[in-house]
Amino acid sequence: MSANLRTIGNLVVRYRLLVMLAGVLIFGGFTQDDFLTLTTFQSVLDRAAVVGFLALGLTPILIAGQIDLSIGSVMSLAAYATIALQPSLGSLPAAFVGLGVGALAGAINAVIVVALKVTSLVATLATLLIGASLALLISDGQPVSSADPMFGLSLTNELLTVLSPRSALFIAAALIMFVWLRATPSGRNLYAVGSSMPAAISAGINVNGYMAGIFVLSGLCAGAAGVLQALSAATGSPLAGSALLIPAITAVVIGGTRLEGGRGSSLATLGGVIALGALTTLSEYNGIPSYTQAVYTGLILILLITLDRISGDNGGRKTRTLRRAAVKQVQQHGGTS
Amino acid sequence: MTLRASPTGPKPAPSAAWSAGSVLSVLSIPLAIVALMVLGSIVSPSFLTVRNLVNVLNAYSAVGLAALGSTFVAICGGLADLSIPATVALGALVALGAGSLVGPVPAAFLGILVAALGGLVNGVLIGYVRINPIIVTLASGFLLLGLAQLLVGGGIVYAEPSAFGTFVAGNLFGLPVSVWIFFIVALILHITLTRTPFGRWNFAVGGNYEASAASAVPVRFTRASAFVLTGLLSGMCGILIALSIGQARPIIGAGYEFVAITAVVIGGTSLFGGRGSILRTVGGVIILALINNLIVLIGWPTPATGLATGSILLVVVAIDAYLRRRTGVLG
Amino acid sequence: MTIRRNILLGAALSALTFAVAGPVAAAGVEGKSICYITAANSHFYVTPANEGAQAAADAAGVKLTIVSEEFSPQTGADQLNSCVSRKVDGILLWPLDANSYLPGLLKAQQAGIPVVAIDTKAGEESMKLIASFVGADKYGQGQISAKQMNEALDGKGKVVIIAGQAGNNTTIMRTDGFLADKAEGIEVLATVNADFDQQKALVASRDLITKFGDQIDGVYAEDDAMAAGFLQALKESGLAIKPVILGIGGTKTAFDAINAGEMTSTILQPPYDNGRLAVETLAKVMGGETVAADVPLENTVVTKENIGGFKPVM
Repeated sequence: MSANLRTIGNLVVRYRLLVMLAGVLIFGGFTQDDFLTLTTFQSVLDRAAVVGFLALGLTPILIAGQIDLSIGSVMSLAAYATIALQPSLGSLPAAFVGLGVGALAGAINAVIVVALKVTSLVATLATLLIGASLALLISDGQPVSSADPMFGLSLTNELLTVLSPRSALFIAAALIMFVWLRATPSGRNLYAVGSSMPAAISAGINVNGYMAGIFVLSGLCAGAAGVLQALSAATGSPLAGSALLIPAITAVVIGGTRLEGGRGSSLATLGGVIALGALTTLSEYNGIPSYTQAVYTGLILILLITLDRISGDNGGRKTRTLRRAAVKQVQQHGGTS
Repeated sequence: MTLRASPTGPKPAPSAAWSAGSVLSVLSIPLAIVALMVLGSIVSPSFLTVRNLVNVLNAYSAVGLAALGSTFVAICGGLADLSIPATVALGALVALGAGSLVGPVPAAFLGILVAALGGLVNGVLIGYVRINPIIVTLASGFLLLGLAQLLVGGGIVYAEPSAFGTFVAGNLFGLPVSVWIFFIVALILHITLTRTPFGRWNFAVGGNYEASAASAVPVRFTRASAFVLTGLLSGMCGILIALSIGQARPIIGAGYEFVAITAVVIGGTSLFGGRGSILRTVGGVIILALINNLIVLIGWPTPATGLATGSILLVVVAIDAYLRRRTGVLG
Repeated sequence: MTIRRNILLGAALSALTFAVAGPVAAAGVEGKSICYITAANSHFYVTPANEGAQAAADAAGVKLTIVSEEFSPQTGADQLNSCVSRKVDGILLWPLDANSYLPGLLKAQQAGIPVVAIDTKAGEESMKLIASFVGADKYGQGQISAKQMNEALDGKGKVVIIAGQAGNNTTIMRTDGFLADKAEGIEVLATVNADFDQQKALVASRDLITKFGDQIDGVYAEDDAMAAGFLQALKESGLAIKPVILGIGGTKTAFDAINAGEMTSTILQPPYDNGRLAVETLAKVMGGETVAADVPLENTVVTKENIGGFKPVM
């Protein structure tokens, strides 16, 4: 009996995203006539793009066993910069500056974590506080309206029926990250770093370089999220990202990337973001209040992570193989551990 | 999750009790408090008054309780409890809401109980099922706060006037009752942590989980208890605030989880376990309260508080990390 | 023969048209759907507004779907896009900032979906795309408070402002309105953000009283909860001053304070009526009627003099 439960548990965990999506689709199909449409799908993908970028940036960080709490604040700073600088720099340059702001913030996190050796939990907590305050102080607490509202307006328009420019960007980024993580040596090294730091160091992997890199990447992704959001709404708000840290973490965890490091995948994150978005959209179609949504989202999270734990790590075969390969590589090269 | 770099050379001999690093580490909090107070007296003539200093303590005495609980969580290696806003709200709402049914004092106990139950959920999942505390408390916080809002349905719960409420909101021998409660609880917890087996278990579990388990330390119970304790204390925090202002709303505890973690870290306790102290957290709470007070007295815009807090946090942990590397203690 | 047939045909057609048009005109908006993008699901001010909206929707036979922005205009802008792509028949929007909704509003206009704004005005550009605004003017509330303060202090004095959350639209409107209309002789000693929270206002007020003491002639609190926080701090301090205290909201605590002479005035904002009126206005627009661009809810000032005629709204 318990063996059967275990198997079911394993299946649910491994195919968690499919199970969740299936559940949402079935429920949606029954309760609303207009849920199972391409328009809804396009809308879900479009809305997922912004939090999706945050979640993507978070993925390598979690794979490496770290965390970045500052992504919301960085997004706000980038969003504000993108719009506030439009009159003086022009719309496209201002957008690039927004990306730059993100990368810079990521670099600062990198310096604090790698050079000053402060643990990422505390370091990014500090930058979260500083970034959020900076955004409010620079903007004097007022969101700024774009001088060129038409520039970013098309970001949420329909593209190829099911996409929009910003969701297309998000999916492209997810795919690029997937290729990087799975198919390149540097990506595989990242898993090694997250699984066993001493082993990675002994194998000659430039651990500090990787650490620095992923924080810059996370900042860049947060910057991208901010730029996209600001352009889509033609507004630069100092609070743009303040509510998005938790949905981003939720999406990554739903997708299956663990907080302990060594496992994860950007496609899993992509799936998690879409699943969460579909659930939210379905709830909105049914007019379910946010606090009820919070209750079952919390329950789903707890259920997923409990099953993950209990079913004994049988999910993520691919990443486990990668991890084994990485550690093996280390041993072959005569690591001392 | 720590960036543990392997040693690059022979370790220096274990530091004697009075090496520069450890002295600085011990003195850093009183030094910081003195520095802030000197700054305050320069900035405003009314800073060094009894009234203002009492206000400073009063402002953070309730949330300080949550920080005390978070100290246990940190020491036993439980990282942090992100569900504090939810347990604060539950404690407050139940205590005020049930007041008319069972009387103010039983209602307060009921509020503490409900909040402790919330902590129990965390405790079981983290201590016994051994799931990552960040995710568990994130999810349970969602869940419990959603429940709290469901219960209240968007209204405000007003406190029924009562002798108990007036007492809690008032003063005793010149100090607000909340401040008394904070210091008494801190004392009790400090003694628990330093002089009881349970306290030693916390240090053991945080320092080396496997070794402790092998030595018959009840590791799972210890970690679970830290979260139950934090839930309980957060509930108390909510009740103190609600009785003080006479009403309760679900957002009553918003942001308190960050205040608690910041107080613990600024105080010098490591979130990864194995070392720390209640007294340090008390120092951290006082530092945060002083910063808040100074921002208003200096006349800076309110968002500057986050800037100051974050910067001080960075400086404190960077110096701490540096000192520990120098004395050979890693992590 | 042809003429008679034509007349008969004409008559038959007309009869048919009237037969069809009759029931259609009577139905109006029944069975249509409205997407109501509200500020929150559980909030002491927003919840009564939601209830009022639901009641009006039920009375008109309209299907109301409520989605909550949870105080994030970014979420709201996304939800607006979703509502438009769902092709609902009408949208009721609670704007949380000036222009984040502009793209969504453009899409709504292209799709031919009428939009009515509730409680807060959006920015100028956005309001052009909105059929009507139903609510109390937040900027006007600031102006009214300024006028109250000017009168109470005779145009001269020192005040502190206890403002709402930084970056929040209501805060910005109420602050700007006050600063615009306050007399020149009135000096603002300090502005603190207390996030519309009584506890935060209490802590900040203690510090303000420490810093300024008896210099404080007036206090402009941007809502009643924060005014209550200041009052509590004042009583604690034992300072023998009686500053002019203004609040906004019309809550029970404010009424009690005004009756006791501790608070000077508050401004009534009836949320339930706001919600009800907003849906009724939207239903009218959906039914093809023209409505006024502004359906204002009066900002009623409640002072000791006229308090007898009012009841607290929450």
